[in-house]
Amino acid sequence: MKKILLALFAYFILSNSSYALIEVDITRGNLDPLPIAVSPLHVDTKSEQDDNIKVKELGNDISAIIEKNFRNTGLFNPLKKDAFVQKPDIAHLKPRFEDWRLIKAQALVTGKLLVKDGKLKVEFRLWDLTAAQEMTALAFTTTPSNWRRVAHIISDKIYERLTGEEGYFDTRIIYVSETGLKSERIKKLAIMDQDGANTKYLTLGNELVLTPRFNPTNQMVTYLSYFRNMPRVYLLDIETGVQEVVGNFPGMTFAPRFSPDGKKIIMSFAKDGNSDIYTMDLETRVVERITNHSSIDTSPSFSPDGKYIVFNSDRSGLQQIYVMRSDGSNVKRITFGKGIYGTPVWSPRGDLIAFTKVRKGRFFIGVMRVDGTGERLLTENFYQEAPSWSPNGRVLVFYRETKAGSKGEGFSASLWSIDITGYNERKLKTKTDASDPSWSSLLSK
Amino acid sequence: MTLNTNLKNIFLVVFTTLILSACSTAKKSGDLDGDVYTGKETVKYLASGVPDRVFFATNKSSLTTASRATLRKQATFLRKNKKLNVTIEGHADERGTREYNLALGERRANAARDYLMTYGISGKRISVISYGKEKPVNPASSPLAWSQNRRSVTVKVN
Amino acid sequence: MTKSLIYSIIFHSVMILLTVLSLPFMIREPVDLPPIVSVELIQISDKTNIPFAPKARKIIEETKKKEEERVVSEQAPPAAKAKEKPDRIPLPDEDKEKKQIVKKKQNPEEIEPQIRQSSEFEKKEIVDTNQIAALIDKAKEEEAVKRDKVDKLTQSSVKNSFATGLTLSEEDALRAQIFGCWSVPLGLPYDEDLLVRIKLQLKKDGTIMKSEILDHQRMNKPGQKFYKVLAESALRAVRLCQPLKVPPTGYEKWKDIQLNFNPTEMLKG
Repeated sequence: MKKILLALFAYFILSNSSYALIEVDITRGNLDPLPIAVSPLHVDTKSEQDDNIKVKELGNDISAIIEKNFRNTGLFNPLKKDAFVQKPDIAHLKPRFEDWRLIKAQALVTGKLLVKDGKLKVEFRLWDLTAAQEMTALAFTTTPSNWRRVAHIISDKIYERLTGEEGYFDTRIIYVSETGLKSERIKKLAIMDQDGANTKYLTLGNELVLTPRFNPTNQMVTYLSYFRNMPRVYLLDIETGVQEVVGNFPGMTFAPRFSPDGKKIIMSFAKDGNSDIYTMDLETRVVERITNHSSIDTSPSFSPDGKYIVFNSDRSGLQQIYVMRSDGSNVKRITFGKGIYGTPVWSPRGDLIAFTKVRKGRFFIGVMRVDGTGERLLTENFYQEAPSWSPNGRVLVFYRETKAGSKGEGFSASLWSIDITGYNERKLKTKTDASDPSWSSLLSK
Repeated sequence: MTLNTNLKNIFLVVFTTLILSACSTAKKSGDLDGDVYTGKETVKYLASGVPDRVFFATNKSSLTTASRATLRKQATFLRKNKKLNVTIEGHADERGTREYNLALGERRANAARDYLMTYGISGKRISVISYGKEKPVNPASSPLAWSQNRRSVTVKVN
Repeated sequence: MTKSLIYSIIFHSVMILLTVLSLPFMIREPVDLPPIVSVELIQISDKTNIPFAPKARKIIEETKKKEEERVVSEQAPPAAKAKEKPDRIPLPDEDKEKKQIVKKKQNPEEIEPQIRQSSEFEKKEIVDTNQIAALIDKAKEEEAVKRDKVDKLTQSSVKNSFATGLTLSEEDALRAQIFGCWSVPLGLPYDEDLLVRIKLQLKKDGTIMKSEILDHQRMNKPGQKFYKVLAESALRAVRLCQPLKVPPTGYEKWKDIQLNFNPTEMLKG
């Protein structure tokens, strides 16, 4: 008995003197964007002149695009170049990490380029400055005129390496360009790079056009045109410019969208005051009726796996959002909140649905889970609607209209983007007023 | 006792002010019944005494008594002019989503068309088109402008 | 006479009670309790409550709002029949599919007459009691989930402070230091529970001898990109911060230390 007690005593003393491993929970950190230094790319002295591009400036120009992309994400803080401590060529070989750390950078992008034999060769490296090591490195060869896309692709690679998700910089946005007075708007289809560069018009503005949307390969666009004063869904091949009407409907077709495999177009067809949802197979031309209800069913959008369709309907009396199987069965209402809900779009990740909500005369863009729970309203305004997802499902682009005065003065329409966290709201620069944006998938995939 | 009469007087004053103010607000919205436009400001005429358009309440496509009267006049006019065909343009205000508004405009145009047909006008003579919120007749962003824009307009085509 | 007697009895019994109560207390006083423990305990409740209090209030406000909304329904008079019985099931179910087709695929013949009725246009929002019940359940669920989370966190912090060999102020100093160095990767999904544990071996001055990510093999697995990003950010944080703010004494206690990086609460905002 005594022995046992002694042993116990000894055990206590021993266990007290050898400490348990200290654990500290770190649940707070700094939410400032990550400080990153984007060094200008070094232009190889062996580079040749190019007729269309200032090769000497290319290193600066590419790094400027990367910087702008990063700043627009709200996740990164590109540092000012005048504080940079090393020349681009030397930094690209082996940065002096201590020096870069002095300007509080945590990551560094370096690179070099060469224009030769009509080819542009670009390579870049991403450095972790605290670990003093390379995180990723890649090289590209392309035609020199593609230099902006190279900058976007580099941005995408770095974004993916630092955030763990795909980027969205090498993408385009198709939208409706608007000019003229509010009551007589001239509308054209327009396409631009995600950063607002390379705007091109796809229609002339002779007829009203609305709601363009890309197909998954970004070569085709489906939209609504009032050609010959007959509002119908059209298909446009961006490369060839060939347009054709989709299907042979005896009335207005509208609100078109591609299926995720690009083989079908889903849209609404209105007849005798009733709008229902239809699909048309682009190869077989077979038309299928998906909903059959005396209410307005419109704004359909497929889930990324193609198995479900989300749409809005006023079958309850007011516009609300419903989900059904892609054959039209199993219709379920998912929004029950106060106000009306419209323009649902399924996220490319499949986990969220973005929507427009109107309540007490205010317009909101929000996201919710696909069963309608977890509603989060991201932004409120006088008028805004029609969200479209960035290909990585992190950012939404939508359009906003301002309140007009008694003669329609002060009216404008513009494109805006916002993070699904509700932060980082930004106005996109467009050459004209703009509405109905649709974001492409990644071009280089 | 005097206190009581004083109170009575005050009450009367307050009451009459309330009634008067109610009058003045009613006057202000004189061109609206509920939120359906009843004025003549934007109205054109197919013929003398035949208004070309009817107005709707927010989010609605049901015809009001006044709208039905207007449409009956249109029907009489169309019966007299047997060779005339018309297009009914359906419109919505700017306070809804674009795609839904296209459908709503279509529904409004059809509500007018259906009514004309019940008064013996052949459906073949009436085509419909919806412009949703795309062609406001009043470009302002005000309840009055919105009520004027929620409309279906009968337009002669030949 | 009786009055004064009652007073006297009450007075005396109070006196007796006081002495009885105070005596044991007087005896107990010399027995010294380690004061540090009590101080620590107070700080824990402070530490753990403050960050969550605003959140909890928010939750309460949210649920309050929800309730208000439920009571005052904008949607006009309940109509006689519900056409679509809304279901709260997340997504259409495979198994139910066949039944549903029969039920939900509206028959054109049935619907056609309705279209012509002008009353169709006057349709009002249908308020279904089932639906309201579902809503209430939903709100409750959400509340419960939220509460659960808060509880869990509180518990873990409490447990942690007991296990640690650092005093709370020492631990807080370390936390505050890393707070400044850790750039939380803002792009991480807010709804995924990500936790990175780093084991450090420190020198006496707080510089890092060795850092090791526990389960680092996870970093290079496919589909673990977010984990990798978080792990790298945590490593950057400790490297940026070094020398870590460690106590001047008790090196043996903290020479091995584990930091658990969990950004979930922050990403939720």
